[in-house]
Amino acid sequence: MTSIDLEARGIGKRFPGVVANHDVSLHIRPGRVHALIGENGAGKSTLMKILYGVQAPDDGTIVVDGDPVTFATPTDAIAAGIGMVFQHFMLADNLTVLENIVLGAEKRHGIGGAARQRITEISGRFGFGLDPDDLVETLGVADRQRVEILKVLYRGARLIILDEPTAVLVPQEVDALFANLRELVADGCSVLFISHKLDEVLAIADDITVMRQGTTVGTADPATATKHQLAELMVGSELPSPQTSESTVTDDVVLELRDVVVTDDAGRDRLSDISLTVHRGEVVGIAGVEGNGQSELVEVVMGMRRCRSGSIHLDAEDTTRLRTRGVRERGVGFIPEDRHRHGLVLDYPLWENRILGHQTRRPSVRRGLINRAGARADAQRIVEEFDVRTPGIDTTARALSGGNQQKFIVGREMSGEPRLLIASHPTRGVDVGAQAAIWEHIRAARRQGLGVLLISADLDELIGLSDRLEVILRGRLTARFDPAQVTASDLGQAMTGGRDA
Amino acid sequence: MSAEVMRARTYRYTMWLIVLGVIVTVSVVRIVTGAERMTAPGTLRAALIGASPILLAGIGGLWAERAGIVNIGLEGQMLLGTWGAAFFAYHYGPYMGLVGAAFMGLLGGLLHAVATVTFGVDHIISGVAVNIIGLGAVGYLAKTFFDDLEGGGPRNLSGYDTLPNITVPGVSDGALKLAEQEWFVISDVAGAVAALTTRISLLTVLTAALVALTAYVLWRTAFGLRLRSCGENPQAAETLGVNVYRYKYVAVLISGAFAGLGGAYLTMVASSSFSVGQTGGRGYIGLAAMIFGNWRPSGVLAGSLMFGYTDGITLLPNSGPLVHALLLLIAVLLVVFAVIKVRKGERTTGIVLALIAVATLAWYLSTDEVNGSFTGMTPYVITLFVIAVFAQNLRMPAADGKSYRRGEAG
Repeated sequence: MTSIDLEARGIGKRFPGVVANHDVSLHIRPGRVHALIGENGAGKSTLMKILYGVQAPDDGTIVVDGDPVTFATPTDAIAAGIGMVFQHFMLADNLTVLENIVLGAEKRHGIGGAARQRITEISGRFGFGLDPDDLVETLGVADRQRVEILKVLYRGARLIILDEPTAVLVPQEVDALFANLRELVADGCSVLFISHKLDEVLAIADDITVMRQGTTVGTADPATATKHQLAELMVGSELPSPQTSESTVTDDVVLELRDVVVTDDAGRDRLSDISLTVHRGEVVGIAGVEGNGQSELVEVVMGMRRCRSGSIHLDAEDTTRLRTRGVRERGVGFIPEDRHRHGLVLDYPLWENRILGHQTRRPSVRRGLINRAGARADAQRIVEEFDVRTPGIDTTARALSGGNQQKFIVGREMSGEPRLLIASHPTRGVDVGAQAAIWEHIRAARRQGLGVLLISADLDELIGLSDRLEVILRGRLTARFDPAQVTASDLGQAMTGGRDA
Repeated sequence: MSAEVMRARTYRYTMWLIVLGVIVTVSVVRIVTGAERMTAPGTLRAALIGASPILLAGIGGLWAERAGIVNIGLEGQMLLGTWGAAFFAYHYGPYMGLVGAAFMGLLGGLLHAVATVTFGVDHIISGVAVNIIGLGAVGYLAKTFFDDLEGGGPRNLSGYDTLPNITVPGVSDGALKLAEQEWFVISDVAGAVAALTTRISLLTVLTAALVALTAYVLWRTAFGLRLRSCGENPQAAETLGVNVYRYKYVAVLISGAFAGLGGAYLTMVASSSFSVGQTGGRGYIGLAAMIFGNWRPSGVLAGSLMFGYTDGITLLPNSGPLVHALLLLIAVLLVVFAVIKVRKGERTTGIVLALIAVATLAWYLSTDEVNGSFTGMTPYVITLFVIAVFAQNLRMPAADGKSYRRGEAG
């Protein structure tokens, strides 16, 4: 397989009101893993879409093997040997692995036996272990990612772009992915690896390019660069750490679950005999591969889902039968995992979003009517205290970046002095600056006696913030760790059921 | 053996079992109720004529929805088809009538495609608009073109040639004789064979061929895979170089053409004259058949036959006792479903079904005759029922009805 040499020179892309990319230059050399790092909103995604022909650049040129090219559609990019693995997988659940792979490339080997043979062959060569006839909906995250990579290889890609491929994987899966990538590079492919996890970048990359505020600000050699240097290039400041200081755990129980069982519509157990306590001033972290019952756990505590048996107590009050509003009125804040689906009404202005979830409480509402002035004033307070970067409180939530949306949600959920905070992936998809701010707010509230139930896929965040870690696997709490002693690798093993689980 | 092949085999096996079960049940009910006409060749022939336009509309709906466009405008496209069939058949002969009907339906589809694909209009709103426009346009066109013709009027037209019928010699006679014997199962099957081999319209045969062709194209060709991918995950399809807009357009145009042919069936086979508003909601019933059929050609076929049967028998003289006998059939089927649900652990649903079965049985026992109009609503009742009870098993295309804009991927 011949390698590809791709160079982007002076790429610029403007959207109405925003300059997404300007003067971006990047050189991906053949047979290398090239890492592109930068904060959220640094312009990595836009650059990637330009390289893959999803969007056309306003300025600049792309040069492949010495010749300038223009990609009007992804088809052109595919023809040039470029393949892309999106962060949000581009797979149709209701189609088989085979159908997903041959789609758009039917001319290569048809859609029948020849294609099946070719897929099995590639899958075998790189140790993917995929069955072409499985429905994609039955596959786990790591397998889906392999389907994506296979899709790209099937089209004969020589440069594979991976957009934050490790965001959804546990450490063991990351290791497996890196092994796959090394095989690919050994086979002559080039890889563009987009990430903001510096450890991983240093582990896998041969070259590093850093982006900040829409442009490339420098390159680094992974052999000599340190995490701190890279972080400074990325944000121009110290790398924040989620480390908590002294313990503030008290003996007062704020949340207690006793033998909670949750079943789905088909009668299968989603949560089995969950017993869990959170004390005042304590952060309890729940570690687990996504889909092992975390969502159900959050929903049952918030009253969004009923438990089949067992009980839930908030400060000794039985809240098992309470609905969500009742739970919230008793002082529970909730940072949902998907802020677009649950946390915000994107087309409402910020001050109206301030009222959501507080529609029975001051200062948003008085005597059953919306208190416009009160809500606006309090929205303004949140914007200031939580450093939400917005033109004003009349801006719609949609116009804010993910990090600022999240800071606003955190601010709202911390309002009204909650006793308990349910934080589901509180820093998912937010940039390093906002992440640090959110961590600091959680830490500050914990010092004042807030109990926190933290669900996260970011193991550093879990280990750094939590006072106690529980591992959830197939709806059961299977292991407990002290974050001061546990390593990410131990945790990863417990999460996948690799050991004592 | 791969999982896919296993699944396909189990699925096929189950389907044959269900078909067999239904035939036996129907036969038992026929003998118990004494409603011998239930599976007589004449009844089944009427059912076939009732089913074909619904099937054409349903398959049309399937094309659009597999590409992710909800085509509630089937009714309007079908109406346009009735006019197209009459106009072209009158002037250029019955075969051009078919072409004209498909073309007029296709125009209706084009309208829907422009609105939903190019301009991103909500599919339901656009579809309802197509229906209203279709009715208005057909009224206008009929008045303009048919008023002065011989056999024509402001709202109707007759006097054009219709399509030929086919009788399979030998098989037809034998089956008719067997069907008269009123034997358990054998006569019922013979009735069906007789209906399929005696004076069957060319368009009915064409309809069956189109259903098979649809199944082949959508599931066995690269074109079909691409089209279906637009209904499952258009963003993914886009990243793989599929021109999603083009496939959606093609799908909706084909959808309209199918609906148009359904209209032609009404003006050229089910009757021999055209009148404004001839479809009588069959486009909606086609959509219902498609949902009942779980977005699969075989399912749409089953749904259409069932709805076509209830539609067809209302046209028979003195259908009251026959409709009454159907109540017992419904009660029996409900009991079967109730048992299935209870065994699956869904007790509440099972009990509700059993209660409805008891009520239906009570109705059957306390009356001797049911007004034929009752069957007019059955397609909708059954569809609602299926959606309510089998919602978990229904699998519509994942991106069906969702607006898609180019360049959103990633």
